[in-house]
Amino acid sequence: MFLHVFTGRLKCLTRDKLMLFWTLLFPVVLGTFFNIAFGNIMNITEEFSPVKVAVVESAGYQQNEAFRQTLDAVSQPGDGQLLIVSVVGGEEADRLLKSGEVDGILEVDGEVRLTVKESGMNQSILKAFLDEYAQKSAAIGKLLRENPQADLSGLLDDMGKESFVNEATLSGAKPDTMLNYFFSLLAMTALYGSFWGLRNSTDIQPNVSALGSRRSVAPTHKMTAVLGDAAASLVLHVAEMLLVLAYLIFVLGISFGNQVGYVLLTCLVGSVTGISFGTFMGCLFQKRDGLKTALLIAVTLFLCFLSGLMMVDIRTYINLYAPVLSYINPAALITDAFYCLYVFESHTRYFLNIGILCGISALFCLGSYLLIRRQKYASI
Amino acid sequence: MVINVQNLVKRYGNLLALDHFSLQIEEGEVFGLLGPNGSGKTTAINCILSLLKYDKGTIEIFGKPMRPDAYSIKQDIGIVMQNVAVFQELSVQENIDYFCGLYVKDRQKRRELVEEAIEFVGLQDFRKFHPKKLSGGLLRRLNIACGIAHKPRLIILDEPTVAVDPQSRNSILEGILKLNQQGATIVYTSHYMEEVEQICSRIVIMDKGKTLATGTKEQLKGMIKGGETLTVELFGLKEEQLEAIRRLPHVTGAEYDGTRLTVHCSGGAHNLIRLLDYLRGQELSFGRVYAEPPTLNDVFLEITGKHLRD
Repeated sequence: MFLHVFTGRLKCLTRDKLMLFWTLLFPVVLGTFFNIAFGNIMNITEEFSPVKVAVVESAGYQQNEAFRQTLDAVSQPGDGQLLIVSVVGGEEADRLLKSGEVDGILEVDGEVRLTVKESGMNQSILKAFLDEYAQKSAAIGKLLRENPQADLSGLLDDMGKESFVNEATLSGAKPDTMLNYFFSLLAMTALYGSFWGLRNSTDIQPNVSALGSRRSVAPTHKMTAVLGDAAASLVLHVAEMLLVLAYLIFVLGISFGNQVGYVLLTCLVGSVTGISFGTFMGCLFQKRDGLKTALLIAVTLFLCFLSGLMMVDIRTYINLYAPVLSYINPAALITDAFYCLYVFESHTRYFLNIGILCGISALFCLGSYLLIRRQKYASI
Repeated sequence: MVINVQNLVKRYGNLLALDHFSLQIEEGEVFGLLGPNGSGKTTAINCILSLLKYDKGTIEIFGKPMRPDAYSIKQDIGIVMQNVAVFQELSVQENIDYFCGLYVKDRQKRRELVEEAIEFVGLQDFRKFHPKKLSGGLLRRLNIACGIAHKPRLIILDEPTVAVDPQSRNSILEGILKLNQQGATIVYTSHYMEEVEQICSRIVIMDKGKTLATGTKEQLKGMIKGGETLTVELFGLKEEQLEAIRRLPHVTGAEYDGTRLTVHCSGGAHNLIRLLDYLRGQELSFGRVYAEPPTLNDVFLEITGKHLRD
């Protein structure tokens, strides 16, 4: 009987064109739009621009030959240029900083002082450069005091030649923040499995549909019918997720890292969560089908918005100001699971996400069971 | 006894949907449940099928208490819902196969039953069609086929001809009689009295959740004072002649509009012959003559004071 229900259901679902559009075609189209929109951003090889800095002309600066030579070395035009140095008077330096024409002011008065008006990447580079200079000049001073004959030429030559900015992932994959949109897109696809769940619950409840009545008067145990329907929708939806995943990877060239098995596990668990979510909503609200679908779309999109589907920074804000939301939002958990697989080698955070998703799915299933198990209804 | 319902009470909040409703249906009957919309017919059916909770009463089918998990009883019941209940994505054949498969596991047997059901409802030329491509009448036929394909002993049809054209309606009614001839007990709910009169061997008339009368159509018509209505087309009937007609035996009333005489009778035999004899005796020539026996609507009208379709 299970097999009969399963195959019948699978036939129905695979021919439901409207649902197939939302659960398969829509994510593909959205993914394509994302790729067009972010493609250029993702393909740009970020070139490092030298940091503009003003040095205040003073006696201290003129007397500190080592510092002047170091600045000359790091401001030589070419691939290794770190700074663009303007030696100006104090007032002019202030004006340049205020107008944003330079990122910082260097003043030499015994020691080298840095003045900035805001914090940012360029200011951090200046700070790192000065720290390194201070460290190395102190080391040179100490060595000369201990051994005046020492040959220290070249010690400051490497100043500024090391990379001050290095973005990396622990898994070794190429880092890219734009990928979060695609992780979120896949989370949305997973949660759109809720449409299948909603349809399942509609077609099994006699107080919601005539089909539910007809199926309820048949000599089939209700749980057999429920499980048959659920299995069919799960098979179909996992297949849809794999198709979307394959499209993103092989057609759009989006990387999901190299942990394929775990990526597939995430798709499976995400599907279960989506379908169980829709089933629960269908059991909870006895409203008209159209209204329930609209409600489902609204809730799903809101959850995906919070996971960064429309604005990637929203995840950062939620993690800063309401981190608990990230632990109860299935879309955020799925997105973060893909992110973890892409960025980290360790699976601790990944399995925490998967575990919470399983827990949420179990709650939806339990809620649906409690609502659907009744065999007689007060009204139809 | 196929169905035995005793003192069924069902409330929706303050509304009493079934008020000590009782029903006994014997094997082989075509039993009609007749009543206006909202009279409680569908509620009664849903209670009998154990879909609805009820407040009081007992329901037995095939001599056993009916419960939601009474699968052995459900195995022998076929239900045709008021609303068409089929999958839009499955073809005619696939739909019938799906629902038949909920009752019959054996594939070979099921294939034969599906074929029989398709032929029975005359959908041979539409077996590959999807429901949205079918007309209203054909869709109703598919709805019936899905309910009866597994050859149940008891078939419950809840207003199966709503919004169906007359031709399809006749086809459906003929099919129901054929199912009965093949041995199925039929429970047929409708608010169309003509249909119920046409096919049902016994009828219960209900309103506001109550059983008003039960019996064969003849028994029901015999329960009321109002009998046949006679209509005669004629000219020149005088007032004293109309008064004389009103005094004829069994005549309860008569009206004349200048061209047509309408006479109401209460039972009795030979009312028409008696009237025509009187008209001939008065040397009044007349045209067409009609004699209408009482209808179930007359029965309903007399019992409740309102028409069935009010």
